[in-house]
Amino acid sequence: MPISPPAPSPGPVDEKRASFEREALVHLDTLYRVARRLTGNATDADDLVQETMLKAYRAWDQYEKGTNAKGWLLTILRHAFINEYRRRMRHPETVDVNAIEPFAVFEDLQDEDPQGSFFDRIVDDEVLRAIDQLPEQFRETVVLSDVEGMSYEDVARILQVPVGTVKSRLFRARRMLQSKLYSYAVSMGYIKGSPA
Amino acid sequence: MNCREAVEHLYEYLDQELTPENERKVREHLQACPPCGQHFNFEQAFLRFVEARCRARGAPPELKRRILHELFGE
Repeated sequence: MPISPPAPSPGPVDEKRASFEREALVHLDTLYRVARRLTGNATDADDLVQETMLKAYRAWDQYEKGTNAKGWLLTILRHAFINEYRRRMRHPETVDVNAIEPFAVFEDLQDEDPQGSFFDRIVDDEVLRAIDQLPEQFRETVVLSDVEGMSYEDVARILQVPVGTVKSRLFRARRMLQSKLYSYAVSMGYIKGSPA
Repeated sequence: MNCREAVEHLYEYLDQELTPENERKVREHLQACPPCGQHFNFEQAFLRFVEARCRARGAPPELKRRILHELFGE
């Protein structure tokens, strides 16, 4: 009876590829969503994600397998964004984020729509547009926390700020976002709101 | 815990970032205080809405093809 040859064992290149696919490529959607909000356009987002993946693959040996690949990839992405994209963006950030007075939408709506049903009538593009209008510090914090579901600690590590800063940015960013969507809903007639 | 303290912890509670002790205090306050309960529900509805609207789209298939080609020559 013929003896079949043993199956070839995977080489180091195959193993590298397999682990990269398993741990890194699965986060492609997250990287793209974050890149899209950071850069503000699809072409730069494509390029930024591609560059991030190439850098990550080259540095894959330095990543400790089985730890936080998503955080590691997002850190690479953010560094690439700061070094290569942000300086040529159209609108440099000049907003004093601490001067922004948060507006509490719930207080205005607690009689008319305390359950926030008007949110259901607002479409994806309008929410994304509202996020894109936030100052960059707020935008990146909201995307990592509220869209990608990362913990305060992970967000703080990626943005290299204290956890307290993540909390205060989230508070202000969420209030600003609510305020923008509230104004939009009033302008569309979804809610009456209260006169300004 | 009073209303002001509960609202101070609002987002940390909804983000599940409180210590078990503070989480319990907020939860007990919400059970006893319908106006705060309503406020927290509103904020939770908002956070769920943002996540659902923004996660609907991922990377374009063409980008994935580009990256696989770049990485592995496929």
